[in-house]
Amino acid sequence: MRTSLTLLLGGLALLAALPALLSAGLLNAAVQMLIAALFASAYSLLAGRAGMLSFGHAAYFGVGAFATVHGMNAINGTGLLPTPLMPLVGAAAGLVLGIVAGWFATQRSGTAFAMITLAIAELLHALAPQLKGLFGGESGISSMRMPAWGLNFGSTTQVYYLTLAWVLLSLALLHFHTRTPAGRLTLGLRENSHRLRFLGYDVHRLGVSAFAISGLFSGVAGALQVVANESANYVVFDAGVSAGVVLNSYIGGVSVFLGPALGAALMSFFGYAVSDATQAWLLYQGVLFVLVMMFMPQGLVGLGGAAARGVSKLGAARAVPLLLLWLVAVLLLAAGTVFLVELLQRLCSQDYRALARAAATWPPVTMFGRSWTATGLATWAWPVVLLASGGALLAFARRALK
Amino acid sequence: MDALLFGLLNGLIYGLLIFMVSAGLTLIFGMMGVLNFAHASFYMLGAYFAYTLQGLLGFGPAVVAATLLAGGVGAVVERFFLRRVHHHGHAHELLLTFGLSFIVAEAIKLLFGNFPVDYHVPAQLDGPAFTIGSQQYPLYRLLMGGVALVMFAALYLLLTRTRVGIIVRSAIYKPRMVEALGHNVQLVFMGVFGVGAALAGLAGAIAGAFYTTSPNMALEIGVMVFVVVVVGGLGSLGGAMLASLLIGLMTSLAVGIDRSLADLFALVGAGAWAEGVGGLLTLKLSSLSATLPFALMLLVLLVRPQGLLGDKT
Repeated sequence: MRTSLTLLLGGLALLAALPALLSAGLLNAAVQMLIAALFASAYSLLAGRAGMLSFGHAAYFGVGAFATVHGMNAINGTGLLPTPLMPLVGAAAGLVLGIVAGWFATQRSGTAFAMITLAIAELLHALAPQLKGLFGGESGISSMRMPAWGLNFGSTTQVYYLTLAWVLLSLALLHFHTRTPAGRLTLGLRENSHRLRFLGYDVHRLGVSAFAISGLFSGVAGALQVVANESANYVVFDAGVSAGVVLNSYIGGVSVFLGPALGAALMSFFGYAVSDATQAWLLYQGVLFVLVMMFMPQGLVGLGGAAARGVSKLGAARAVPLLLLWLVAVLLLAAGTVFLVELLQRLCSQDYRALARAAATWPPVTMFGRSWTATGLATWAWPVVLLASGGALLAFARRALK
Repeated sequence: MDALLFGLLNGLIYGLLIFMVSAGLTLIFGMMGVLNFAHASFYMLGAYFAYTLQGLLGFGPAVVAATLLAGGVGAVVERFFLRRVHHHGHAHELLLTFGLSFIVAEAIKLLFGNFPVDYHVPAQLDGPAFTIGSQQYPLYRLLMGGVALVMFAALYLLLTRTRVGIIVRSAIYKPRMVEALGHNVQLVFMGVFGVGAALAGLAGAIAGAFYTTSPNMALEIGVMVFVVVVVGGLGSLGGAMLASLLIGLMTSLAVGIDRSLADLFALVGAGAWAEGVGGLLTLKLSSLSATLPFALMLLVLLVRPQGLLGDKT
């Protein structure tokens, strides 16, 4: 308890100090990380705690975003809802859509539920470009952050603190929800809904309430993105947004409260860091997700527990070197995979194929700052050696840790 | 009149095509209780395999090879991915197939580019079948419909008239009992998964040449197929057929109707008001045709949550 409290306070202090430590570009990335973290936490209330897999959460995010952009244009940052309170509009929109969609979707459970959520999101995605007045068509709708409360929201730092405040407040409320009787019942919904019904609870209403609360906080996340970007476009309804939040949450681990938030922050940080270097980031994200699903069902936060178990079983003196070996093996495998994917991506790209056709030979490709011949032995030996050595080390470390 | 007839035919054939994909999905679901999110990815893989191979083999053999390859990928997915996580439960399996579908789409974007590829109907099949009035009907559409019908007949006969079919059907209802009788149920699962994937691959290889072959095709048909299985009733082959035809006809007929809700209001004299309101009221039905299946699904959920022919809730 003491250590987790210390970790939490340390994390908060770090988040509060970030604007002093980071450049404006990185601070923007941090804003996106916070928003992704909130979105993933809102999603996991439904997917993790209530056990209802939604594949269409972009709908609630997007509705929150559009409600906010219209709200900002309509109220102009004055009156009852100045700019810092704008996310309330997104929250209301997410809540309303969450109630409506949740009423439909929770008619069914399990697999059918997942498909209905997907279809509702696709319905909005198909409808949005047609309704130009509401969703602005291709160009979207833009707005301005109006000054309020003596702040002008011109600098990234102010936007960052505004986002941070909303994200922390929302996370606190979400955590509070897990402690309330309603939150406990949500957990019961996942474990045994028949028994809940037998005990006299209205299962459908419970499901709708979990769905609506999840929609509400997704709407807040959408609203925060509009406040940060000052615009909204119908691509927020894209299936990729829904897929991203599923991937992030499960990579982090939905069984722990902060798992999805950490997963989302980690993934969006990497997405920002490598977006210039590679076009295959989404592929890596998908591969990581499948690996987590197959070998670490608890998510990345489960790794800490597994390491602690290894230490307590074998003793620190034996376990720590083995864990380090395991880490090296994973890094080697990752390096080999990245090498192979990047090489294939370059060899299959349009430019390269046009070049190869013009030259009637296989020209070399540039990768990691040097040039590689396409048919050279070294080019293909690198990934093979990396993957083979990583695989062998991993097999050894796993057997020794067992 | 011509337009209506052509619309009906187009809708029928599009419905048959959706059925080709959803048949495998609903079969796998009925058997293993797994909704295979990656099912539409096999459809896309079929199209891309056929596109890649047609230069080497020619169109016909490429379609056959693509079908077999898609089936092989399906069998590998079942054997080495799904079976490993089976003990974590169905939600976990659904998430795993979701991840796989994501990987397939991203890998195809990486290898073939994030745009439609030049996969088209071969010249000898690219002609009119018959002419009504002044319009010609493409031969290839009839071919697609024919393949779907032949496939449905073969599947039906295989399931109801052969020994393999008996084992498969009994493995759907009582897998443990079938196992106790000495049949290799794991192999049956892998086989059904592979056949379902192969059917989707065949549909993709054939339809990809007529429609567009792009990295988005899996999502487009996938969502449609999910709507079909919800509307028809999960695990019901007949329901899948009914819902596929319904959705095919509905979408293709709606494209031809240039009316909006405002026209409806005009009947009671409120047309000008509706035009003034705009938004949903002035949207033409033709531009809404993509959203109609979803509306149908919500309607079905409202009045008959278990689906048209489903019995499980």
